[in-house]
Order: sequence, then C-alpha cells, then structure tokens
Amino acid sequence: MVERIEDLNLPNAVIARLIKEALPDGSNVSKEARAAIAKAASVFAIFITSSSTALAHKQNHRTITAKDILQTLNELDFESFVPSLTQDLEVYRKMVKDKKESKANNKKDASTGDATASSSSAVVVADSEEAA
Amino acid sequence: MASEDLFRNDYSEEPDLGQEFQKDVEMSAEMAEHDTEDVEKSIGQNGTNSSPSVNQPAAKSPEQTKTTNGNKTSEHEHDGKLTQLPMGRIRNIMKLDPDLQIASNEAVFAVTKAVELFIESLAREAYTYTAQAKKKTIQKRDVDLAISAVDSLMFLDGALNF
Repeated sequence: MVERIEDLNLPNAVIARLIKEALPDGSNVSKEARAAIAKAASVFAIFITSSSTALAHKQNHRTITAKDILQTLNELDFESFVPSLTQDLEVYRKMVKDKKESKANNKKDASTGDATASSSSAVVVADSEEAA
Repeated sequence: MASEDLFRNDYSEEPDLGQEFQKDVEMSAEMAEHDTEDVEKSIGQNGTNSSPSVNQPAAKSPEQTKTTNGNKTSEHEHDGKLTQLPMGRIRNIMKLDPDLQIASNEAVFAVTKAVELFIESLAREAYTYTAQAKKKTIQKRDVDLAISAVDSLMFLDGALNF
C-alpha cells in the first residue's frame, strides 16, 4: 500500500503554513522545530487512530467513524478540538452530499455529452480512413 | 498556565470556512456575476466615474476565469480547501495501525482536521517558550519543552528522539 516511507511524511509546505497561521506576525520556525512538529503530527495521527480502533473494537464495530474519533479526542484530553471539529464535519457532510447530487446531475449531462463525443471520434476515424 | 494555552478555542479555522461558503456562493452565481461584470465594464467605458466599484470586478476576473476554466478541476479544489493537509496521506498513516480494518471517509476527515488543530496548538504552545526566551524563531528546544510541560502530550515523549 505504502510504497515509500516518504509517503507517510506530511507535506512540509502545509506544515509550515499551519504553524505560521498559529503564530503572531514576525515570528519564525527553525527547520529542526518544524521537522519536530511534523513528526509529532504524524505520531498524533497514529495515536488517535489506534485509540479509536480500540474504542470501536470494544463496541464490536469494524469501521471506525468520526464519532469514534471525537470520543477519543475527548478521552485523551483534546476536548478543545471537538467543537470546531464538529462544525467542520457538518460542512464536510454537506459538501459530500452536494457532490453526490451534482454527480447525479453530471451523469445526465455526460450521457448526452458522450453521444456527441463518440460521434466526433467517429468523424476522426472516418478522416483517418480517408487519409489512408 | 502554559497548558491552558494549548486548549484555547480561538482557532483561525472559522474565517477559512467563511471563505469557503463565499466561494460556493460565488461559483453558483458565476453566470450572474459575469453578466453584471459586463454591465459594470460598459459603465466604466462610458467613463463617468472610475470609482473602486469599477476596479473591483476587474480585479476579481482572474479568479473567476480560474473557476470557469474547468468545472471538473474545481471540484477537486473544493476537496483541498476544506482540509489543508492531504487526506490520502493521513489515510495512509492511519493504515499503519494493524488493528484498523475500515475507516470511514468522515473518520479520515476528522483525523485530518484534528492533526491540523494539533499542529497549530503545538506551535502556539512551543512559541510561549520562544517568547519567554525573548526570541522570535521557534527552536527544537521550545517544542521539546512544550511537549514535556503538557500532560496530554505525554504520548510524544521519546517519539521525536530518533
């Protein structure tokens, strides 16, 4: 699944941006400090994942859900993350729903679009036959 | 003291979300805006008042062309806008857990967002030590100090020393 170990590193530029957003203007981060924070972030991701899987297994669930993640954060003293995460989740759910709907609409459009596309490719084939 | 800092609730995410919504509105009203843009341009050409209201649509137009350029790619951009970190990468990290069987997309999203919040709060926490030392640049030492000072960061103890 993971082919190279670098695939597990989080992108440096994004980490740098997130840190910068959190700090007052004019402050900076040394390379080593940024690397340490990035590593800490990966460890944090693994940490809450394994805690959430343990939680889900306790309830005989095979799939871990957003609810498991939120509950885990509460249990691990990161409850300050929960309110803003709950909000973000609502936005995410809405986005996924909208996407599904627009996809359904696109499918209708695509079926008509495909017809024109295939006819144009037929023209291309005819052209190349003429050329031959 | 310092630990309270970590749990502040004033994350700067909310304005971002606001922008997101704004963009949504902008995209849905794309056509309408194009019309008004044309109208406003023609007003500008008539040249009576070169007020900022004329300049604004002109400044906006590159952004609009970006969204109009391809509806397919703009959907992708939407994904990227909700989370700053790539969700695929986070999912790969999550899969390192051998006990994990299936993670719902929402769970991956929640972890991604949580990691973003974590980075911001750890940076803020570390910066308190930077400021104490009357410096402007966070050093590795400040991050280590922050980790050993906050109980909920105990899990990181020793994880960064290799």
